[in-house]
Amino acid sequence: MSAEILKVSGLATSYGKIEALKGVDLRVESGKVTCLLGPNGAGKTTLMMTIAGILQARRGSILLEGKQLVGLSPANIVTQGVALVPENRLVFPQMSVRENLLAGAYQRNDKVGIAGDIERMYTRFPRLRERSEQLAGTLSGGEQQMLAVARALMSRPRLLLMDEPSLGLAPMVVADIFRIISELNRDGTSIFLVEQNAHMALQVAHHFYLMEQGKVTFDGTPGELAEDEVIQRAYLGTSRRSDP
Amino acid sequence: MDDHVVSVLSNIGVISFVALSAYLLLLTGEISFGQQAFFGIGAYAAAIATAMWGWPLAAGLMLGALAGASSALLVGLPTLRLHGLYFAVATLAFAEMIRILLELFHYQVAVDGELVGPNGTDGFGGIRYVFQNKIGAFEYMLLIYTLLATALAGLWLLERSRLGVAFRMIGGDETLAKTSGIAITRHRMIAAALAGALAGIGGGLYAHLTTYIEPRIFDIMLGVHALAYGLIGGLGTALGPLLGVLIDIGLLGSTRLFSGYRMIVFGGLVAVLLIFRPRGLLNEEMVHRIGSFWRRVWPTDPSQKSHGKT
Amino acid sequence: MIDFVQTTVDGVMVGCSYGLLAIGFTLIFGVIRRLNLSYGPSIMVGAYLGTFLYVQFGAGPLLVAVAVVAGAAIAGIYVERLCFAPMKGGAGVASMVSSFAIWMQLEQAMILLLPRHTYAFPALATGAPWEFGPFTLRPDQLLMLILAIATGIIVNTIIYRTRFGTGLRLVTSNQIAAHLVGVNVRNVMLGAFALASAVGGFAGFLVLAIDQQVTPMFGMWATIKGLIAMMIGGLGSVPGAIAGGLVLGVIEAHAQGLVGPQARDLTAYLLLFLCLVLRPGGLFGKAPEADGAFSSRST
Repeated sequence: MSAEILKVSGLATSYGKIEALKGVDLRVESGKVTCLLGPNGAGKTTLMMTIAGILQARRGSILLEGKQLVGLSPANIVTQGVALVPENRLVFPQMSVRENLLAGAYQRNDKVGIAGDIERMYTRFPRLRERSEQLAGTLSGGEQQMLAVARALMSRPRLLLMDEPSLGLAPMVVADIFRIISELNRDGTSIFLVEQNAHMALQVAHHFYLMEQGKVTFDGTPGELAEDEVIQRAYLGTSRRSDP
Repeated sequence: MDDHVVSVLSNIGVISFVALSAYLLLLTGEISFGQQAFFGIGAYAAAIATAMWGWPLAAGLMLGALAGASSALLVGLPTLRLHGLYFAVATLAFAEMIRILLELFHYQVAVDGELVGPNGTDGFGGIRYVFQNKIGAFEYMLLIYTLLATALAGLWLLERSRLGVAFRMIGGDETLAKTSGIAITRHRMIAAALAGALAGIGGGLYAHLTTYIEPRIFDIMLGVHALAYGLIGGLGTALGPLLGVLIDIGLLGSTRLFSGYRMIVFGGLVAVLLIFRPRGLLNEEMVHRIGSFWRRVWPTDPSQKSHGKT
Repeated sequence: MIDFVQTTVDGVMVGCSYGLLAIGFTLIFGVIRRLNLSYGPSIMVGAYLGTFLYVQFGAGPLLVAVAVVAGAAIAGIYVERLCFAPMKGGAGVASMVSSFAIWMQLEQAMILLLPRHTYAFPALATGAPWEFGPFTLRPDQLLMLILAIATGIIVNTIIYRTRFGTGLRLVTSNQIAAHLVGVNVRNVMLGAFALASAVGGFAGFLVLAIDQQVTPMFGMWATIKGLIAMMIGGLGSVPGAIAGGLVLGVIEAHAQGLVGPQARDLTAYLLLFLCLVLRPGGLFGKAPEADGAFSSRST
């Protein structure tokens, strides 16, 4: 078993009186892609927002290589090396693509390094170079997703959290996104991915969790996932003919 | 009853109308900084009717309500499609325009050899219907509270009617209300008109209580106070705004508590209160708790009652 | 024609201070998406502090200016801590009413400090008006114009050239995304209140130095004028705030010149009302998007 970069245990988060996370335990292995599946409203986004510090945990712990993240401010968590690509992108709409990338490096001071990283992002995402001076709000959905990923990478995270990066995107663009996920992973970034598109996730992820109603209900390898009949039916859409 | 007490209670009753008016709009999710305009319009209309045209008080008050409601509808036409801050500031601009127009409003007639009527910034005195008809201060207070109780009963029924449910739905989530088939604009117009009428009656009562009105009474301070009363007292029930008025005018304004430091203490308390209770003292949760407590003490369900005895 | 030009120039002078007031207002609105009714009263705290130093110790204009700016900034921080920082997301109306309660509190505290209705305020510059042919120009007004422009340049530099300014722009643009790139949002909000109130304080100083007197109505005056100029120019936009202030100043000057002081205020409110109804994004702004955070829906 390889080292874990993130370990979540007994995590509970509430919105007012509604408990959205009811004691979540999971781990993300270093250098791997871990994927969290689950229906809408299961608490996946809540989990991501809690790890990023936007939402406050009520109980439990989040350890990043042994360091407690619960109680830290979102800014502090970025300093620790965690970056979240949020659901629905959330770019800075009235700013140019380039300014958005610079915003991603808000906590860094190395001007040369930042310029180099922007160049690297432009190489990885050529569309962003073409759109460099365009306002982010005017980009297409796929371009905004690329920008959100690139912006997150600008902080040089050790752990990249991605919340449904394929949501609302055309199949071609989704394929692009997943190609980039596996490239990033090959370059050594640990990735924790929330997805509903299990087919695509099976191509990149090394480990799967399933979350339902605020709890983890499945924990296994891609092989085990493909064997699980319930998940088969719900997420892979191929109902194997079994006994009635 | 002590004259001072009667006068304070009358004042509380009258101001409650404009607080209720702001509260009604808050139910539909809108913040108005301008309900004082309809209070002022109602005051001028009712006073003109009784003091200058010789109408009876009831007719004057009705005219005040009508003037409040119709001017609310009129200003609602262009503003009700605005939301949030835009609506709030538009109502403020309207109310200030009304106040300035009242400052420019000169319309006087001779009554018993004396000029009576609105006289610009010098105001409008001699609204003596109550005095001339030998209605005592105590009786007038009873009139105010009878009308206030009627208004509260009306609001109580309204909140339990389809219309009231629609108001709260629009206030909760307009998109959701729209997809549930609620005609948003029409409902907001109805709420605006009702709120205008409430403020108008309150204004009419105010004019006859003080016998003298002037435009600067109806300035933005009154409007923001009206809004604040609901937030302090609570948005869970129509009694909330009344509680807010009672605390401000009754407890602090009339008892000379902390005189000179009153707003320093009170302002700070309100700010701290709102940190812990952003929807006021009588918020929805509190109203629910009081309700269930009340039902336990006073069960109305017969089966429950017999159960309690055995 | 000569009158028209003279009135316009006078309007521009006043409009500059309106513009500065609106910049402060709009900076605060941009980061918190809520209305801070205590904006004007915070400025009043500074103004009264400056007046107190002037009346009691005969402080000169420079010291008074420093006191006004510092007092306003401290009051702004106080308002942020009490009315905005502790509120959970969504309690927009509660924050606004809370800022109104603090308005009442600050106003009474200042009246206790200086109880008379009117106090003298030091002049910015003295000297006879200059005559250029048919036109006249007051030296203090010209100085005010220069100082207002300089303040605008300084604010612009802070917003576009400093790290705090970047954080402020990111929070204004999208608060959650700002959190995610590592901006310390709470510090930015506090800083925005301090900066905005300081800018407002300086605008207040300029206005009072031209009038050479201060009354307890000043807090309300500053909130209302700042609010009108901000809404005319478009919410959350700094160039819009300046333009809104100039438009308001010029139109007020002409209305006053043509009809009188009541017409001046009436025209200002009519302009505001028409702007909101016909162009809610402001004369120079884009479509509004500030709604959700402010509406009472989200309390």
